[in-house]
Amino acid sequence: MRKRRVGLWTAALAGYAFLYVPLVIVIAYSFNNSRLNAEWVGFTLDWYRTLFHDQDMLLAAGNSLAIALVASLVSTVLGTAAGVAMYRYPSKLLSVLVLAPIAIPEILMGVSLLIFFVLLNFTLGLASVALAHIAFCIGFVAIVVRARLAGMDETLTEAARDCGASPWNTFRYITLPLIMPGVIAGALMAFTLSIDDFVITFFTAGAGTVTLPLQIYSMIKIAVTPEVNAVSSLLMLLTLALIIIASKISPTLLRSE
Amino acid sequence: MSRIIALLASLLFSVQALAKDEFHLYNWNNYIAPETIKRFEDFCKCQVVQTYYSDNEELLAKLAAGAKGYDMLVPTSNAVQALIKGGQLKPVDKSQLPNLNNINPIYLNTPFDPGNKYSVPYAMSTTIIGYNDQKMKELGLPTDTWAVIFDPKYLEKVKGRVTVLDSSSELFAAALKYLGYSANDVDPKHWDEAAALIKKAKPYWAAFNASSYIKELTVGNIWLVHGYSNDIFQANLDAKAAGRPFQILQGMPKEGAVLAVDNMVIHKDAPRPDLALKFMNFMLEGKNSSELTNLIGSGNPNVDAVKYIKPEILKNPAIFPDKAVEAKLEQLKDLTGPQRRLRNKLWTEIKAGR
Repeated sequence: MRKRRVGLWTAALAGYAFLYVPLVIVIAYSFNNSRLNAEWVGFTLDWYRTLFHDQDMLLAAGNSLAIALVASLVSTVLGTAAGVAMYRYPSKLLSVLVLAPIAIPEILMGVSLLIFFVLLNFTLGLASVALAHIAFCIGFVAIVVRARLAGMDETLTEAARDCGASPWNTFRYITLPLIMPGVIAGALMAFTLSIDDFVITFFTAGAGTVTLPLQIYSMIKIAVTPEVNAVSSLLMLLTLALIIIASKISPTLLRSE
Repeated sequence: MSRIIALLASLLFSVQALAKDEFHLYNWNNYIAPETIKRFEDFCKCQVVQTYYSDNEELLAKLAAGAKGYDMLVPTSNAVQALIKGGQLKPVDKSQLPNLNNINPIYLNTPFDPGNKYSVPYAMSTTIIGYNDQKMKELGLPTDTWAVIFDPKYLEKVKGRVTVLDSSSELFAAALKYLGYSANDVDPKHWDEAAALIKKAKPYWAAFNASSYIKELTVGNIWLVHGYSNDIFQANLDAKAAGRPFQILQGMPKEGAVLAVDNMVIHKDAPRPDLALKFMNFMLEGKNSSELTNLIGSGNPNVDAVKYIKPEILKNPAIFPDKAVEAKLEQLKDLTGPQRRLRNKLWTEIKAGR
């Protein structure tokens, strides 16, 4: 018994180490006093100072945040609706339509969206990137929401209808609160997918539209400085804050029960 | 909820609507000096908005799919040729470019764009040897010949401390040059010779590396590279900034090397071709052109720029080669379909072989 517990702990620790040690290194090296960032030289906050004076980087970060917020909000609404629809009306065609964007290779999706925008004569810019992100995030939200619905007790909605609730009220007061953890998880997933997407963004971004991944990628040619670590650390902090806030608003939100 | 969405959407659109007189430059990252941008903005009373690509293929793919909104692009010569073929460019009105006379004539009227109907040279780089001066001196190795990259006689002294570019075209070009052929030689027999040469040298190389060799050089893990002149220049700046006891220097092989010229071209759907022409003529001025060379150590086709360039860069034979070597520099041409298949086959054999 005891032996098994030790084994379990070791496996868990190894798993967490694999997940978190790289992140810790990224954060630690954002304080490294060396442009090369190959070995530890000394502690400095200079890179954060550089970052807050780097207009290009700030603009890119601002764009990424705006796009991720819009994309996650819109795709959560649409994705939830799609998830509910897929659960209510189980048809093959519907699932294929909603889930195809997840399976399609990103590069294909990027190029076809670009061709589509060009065809419509839609000016490429932040809006086109946001639309593209919404398009590929919907499927992810829908999957999570549908999985959540599958575990729901159907008698609850039937009871609500029996008591005279309209379909909308049943959804609003019974279904939605029950699937909320799924919706929030879907929204967080959409947010992270959107904020770090490169391929689709590259194709759908217009002249002068820069997002953080595009900016960082174009910097690789001239060597990545700890400034990139600094901006990544701040992003991680933000994501962490989002999760903490979400769980503070409703302690049961991220739990399955 | 829907109100929030409407608000956010309108916010997104309004950011775009704010656009005033803007000049959209689709460029490599760090490929124009900040002071040059500032001066051009004052001159044209417009705002320069840059977007970056890090590979010619990225640019070609994006434009081929129909992206627009860019006024000026800065592709390498072979990509210029592809863009011309694809009908993506707008011819340049040379009567608006009095400063074109500043360009060294050997960089004009190339087979990539005969008569410079569409393109004007911007800056250039070479693919050369980069080395750790301390180590190479200690080991007594030459730094002015491709032999040091390919000949086991030299290589055994630096085994595991050498990297070459992870690019079939660049590596084959270097090997062909070393064998005394043109970098654009397409004779399959010569290619086999080059492949054999590469295979013999491969066990001595640490890696095929096109991305992190700058850092490896500066840290001191790697002593000798086949790399781009701008990267090696950057490696030395980094080494200096980090207070390393050695320098990273550039070696121009006497057999010749690959030259890459980046050119200014105007996109066919440019919203502001007028600003693009203004920018072209502006960048052809010696002072403006020199600032990029002083920043990143790029080669400069502008004769008028020479007097503004830092003396230590000017006397660097890898950036400003003498006439004899200059004549041996070659720009790479695109391969035809069958040639590319053969090259890929050889390359796969090289990479997979042990």
